[in-house]
Amino acid sequence: MSSEIQERSDIDQIPVAARPATTPPPRPQTWVLKLIMAVTGSVFVLFILFHLAGNLKVYLPDDPQGHFNEYAHWLRTLLNPLLPGSTFLWIFRATLVACLCLHVYSGLTLWIRAHRLRGRHARKVHATKHHLTGRTMLWSGLIILSFIVFHLLDLTIGRGVESKDFSTKAVYKLEGGEVVTDAYSNLVHSFQRPEVAIFYVVVMVVIAFHLSHGLWSVINDFGGTAPRTRTVFLFLADLVALIVVIGNASIPLAVLAGGISV
Amino acid sequence: MRLILEVWRQDGPDAEGSFETHEITDATPEMSLLELLDRLNHQLVENDQDPVAFESDCREGICGTCGLDVNGVPHGPEDNVPACGQHVRSFTDGQTVRFTPFRARSFPVVRDLIVDRTGLDRIIQAGGTISVDAGTAPDADTLLVTHDDAERALDFAACIGCGACVSACPNGAAYLYTGAKLAHLALIPHGKEERAKRARSMIAQMQHEFGPCSQIGECALACPAEIPLLAIAAVNRERLRAGFKWRKPN
Repeated sequence: MSSEIQERSDIDQIPVAARPATTPPPRPQTWVLKLIMAVTGSVFVLFILFHLAGNLKVYLPDDPQGHFNEYAHWLRTLLNPLLPGSTFLWIFRATLVACLCLHVYSGLTLWIRAHRLRGRHARKVHATKHHLTGRTMLWSGLIILSFIVFHLLDLTIGRGVESKDFSTKAVYKLEGGEVVTDAYSNLVHSFQRPEVAIFYVVVMVVIAFHLSHGLWSVINDFGGTAPRTRTVFLFLADLVALIVVIGNASIPLAVLAGGISV
Repeated sequence: MRLILEVWRQDGPDAEGSFETHEITDATPEMSLLELLDRLNHQLVENDQDPVAFESDCREGICGTCGLDVNGVPHGPEDNVPACGQHVRSFTDGQTVRFTPFRARSFPVVRDLIVDRTGLDRIIQAGGTISVDAGTAPDADTLLVTHDDAERALDFAACIGCGACVSACPNGAAYLYTGAKLAHLALIPHGKEERAKRARSMIAQMQHEFGPCSQIGECALACPAEIPLLAIAAVNRERLRAGFKWRKPN
């Protein structure tokens, strides 16, 4: 009787291998990386919606070119009396680049960890939406990353892939008399190249996939366990993805169709 | 019913391992998948061959001992049913059925279809003990638990620890398992004192051996205890909460 109690209470009976590790977990911890992805990803979602609102000015019925160029100019000179020149724009850009670096670093680290820990045998999976979007996050992410580079070279910097009519010179006269860059014409000239327009449309679909799974992950990474909140987020994730793809992809299509021109 | 069984054979953790093909001619639709393996083993023994090693215990879906992948799906083709509760009637006559051990780097093969799932036990061990009054029995209703909380805690406590969630996960993550344990204990007043510490150490231990979660949801479709997918969010919820808790000075 007493020996039985002794045996049960004796922690040394447990083989060493079966005890919890005494070393700290791999750093940065997985949950921290996931949280970084959620926070930086949310920043991108807000940025994309902000960007979309600006893009949609091309659809304004009355003088879209003026409105679009005015908006582009406003963006460059935001908070101007307080911060001189394009200071705010550069703070904005630096934040986005920092978020991008953190997002890509976390994503790749998690991907490597996940790959190391999957087993050897083949797996048959359920044909769910989350499989299509969730398991392709790395690839859609890499496509988006290369798109960002292309998009900057095409419409911001104008080097390598820009249209032959691209110009960063201040040539457009705003209503107020200020002469600014004609961002609107740059956009139209770029999208008048069919292969570029189609590339933009395809990438928007990829972004929608990435967004729809990303926003769903956000609620999980922030620890949202309330069933109703989760359902709402599941719906929101698809809604935002749909808005982004319809709003953005329609612009190159409209240019191709001749609905938007200089 | 005639079935072709492709069974993974592996002598030990470090052995190479390969598939072995056998034919069962007298399978019946009402046989469970474990009984199908029993039938195969009878046949193997009759022919002086080594029987296939696989785990099973209660055979009524509550022990969590059985665990194998059937045609690449944990436990078998039906969702949310343990292997012992899945039947040969899911297959058609003459179909090939492939048995493989649970798939995860964290579950090394012991032999044939038996895997070492002590990684899950180490997560539980890391959780440690809880402070309870070990004296005389407390008065009734000194620890109040609402009916809803009790029900939800029991839903999470339904986890039988079989490891199907890990095998189902493309990343080999144990989020559903760890989340179920954490959520279960977080909903009841017992062990409230250790809630933050438990979350820190269990999640730290989980990260040692298991992968990150990608919110794909495959785990909840495999889980024989029907643990809801929101358990994966409970992991980060408990860990974030613990992060905001003041650590007691050492």
